[in-house]
Amino acid sequence: MPKYIRRLIIAFAVFITLFLIVQQFLKPASFGELGHFRAKAIDETAAAELQYAGRLNCSSCHDSLRILKAEGLHNMLACEVCHGPGLKHALYADRFKDVPLPDSLTLQKPVERKDCAICHQMNAARTKILFDTVDNSLIRQVNALEHNYISKKTKKERKCIQCHNPHQP
Amino acid sequence: MNKNKDIISRRKFFTTGSIIAGGVAVASSLAVVDGLLFASEPPRRKGKWYGIGIDINRCIGCGKCAKACKLENKVPLDPFYFRSWVEQYTIKNDGSIIVQSPNGGIDGFTQTVPDEEIFKSFFVPKMCNHCYKSPCTQVCPVGATFETPDGIVLIDENYCIGCRYCVQACPYGCRYVHPEKKTVEKCTLCIHRLKKGLEPACFEICPTEARIYGDLNDPESKLNSFLKNHTCMVIKPHLNTGSKLFYNALSSEVR
Repeated sequence: MPKYIRRLIIAFAVFITLFLIVQQFLKPASFGELGHFRAKAIDETAAAELQYAGRLNCSSCHDSLRILKAEGLHNMLACEVCHGPGLKHALYADRFKDVPLPDSLTLQKPVERKDCAICHQMNAARTKILFDTVDNSLIRQVNALEHNYISKKTKKERKCIQCHNPHQP
Repeated sequence: MNKNKDIISRRKFFTTGSIIAGGVAVASSLAVVDGLLFASEPPRRKGKWYGIGIDINRCIGCGKCAKACKLENKVPLDPFYFRSWVEQYTIKNDGSIIVQSPNGGIDGFTQTVPDEEIFKSFFVPKMCNHCYKSPCTQVCPVGATFETPDGIVLIDENYCIGCRYCVQACPYGCRYVHPEKKTVEKCTLCIHRLKKGLEPACFEICPTEARIYGDLNDPESKLNSFLKNHTCMVIKPHLNTGSKLFYNALSSEVR
């Protein structure tokens, strides 16, 4: 074998061995266990903080509202759909039972007209049309700018909740 | 005849040259085989394998899923960072298609086209499809985005270098670059909730049960009965991404 070929092969062998050694030091801890990624990243992502409590956790304190809601048209709605994430609220109330909640943990009450209109505003995409049948049964729709909009007495915008109980609409 | 060993004969030159060229040709074709193997990978049949189902007939476009996702995962509130969002498609009688997604649907939708001109209109909630042949995991130069054995595509934010190749590669547009962290983020299927036995935020919050997730390999799961009882399709099937987000009543105009 010519001298230069031999030297090239030796150089390649040295470089490859050095690379493999350095790679062992530079490779992150859990890399390659489950694939071409750091396996620890799965647990790191799964360690994030939770914000939503879930359907079942509100009823331990607010059971009367749950019973009220269970008989109406909003029975399938989770409490947090309208009231926002409630895990911190529930955990605080659970830990400090008789202490009033700080303002930051009080959940919002969507009382304005626009809050109901987000779901119930009349929209051609909410009316399900299939061939000749028009199906409004999925959700009752109303034109929020016309339906009992201004009170004749006070001349001000009426709130939906003045007539409709949101927990038993 | 020269006895100088440095001069090689013509025959030897050609044979050595063709062996090297042939070796290079074979080695470079292996890269193509690697890509073909990835693209033709069959669905996983063993173990837990998460999938998602969305029923377009049930979606009312309230945008609560998009809002819940932002609040649960601390997504920046600007109207261009979404892990999950809702689009409204309006197809007019003259055939033109209007797509709107004002703030991802979080503030609700208003109908801008009068009823008489509308042929059909519907809402399409979108999110990461958690593809099993995902282009985003394929292009990552460092291995910062990957698919877990459960079938969820995640991002390792400590490893991502912020090159944004995956943002370009995703055909569904579900990735964004976090403005402060400068790494890429996307839907994690709320794995931090799944590990604690809770539902992902958007599935939990949907008021009409239009969103379903579950184990594709479990014949009893809600997702499998959803797939059996509805005519389901994925968006952009021609891209062969192995998308696991199945829509019921998906119209061909959705892209």
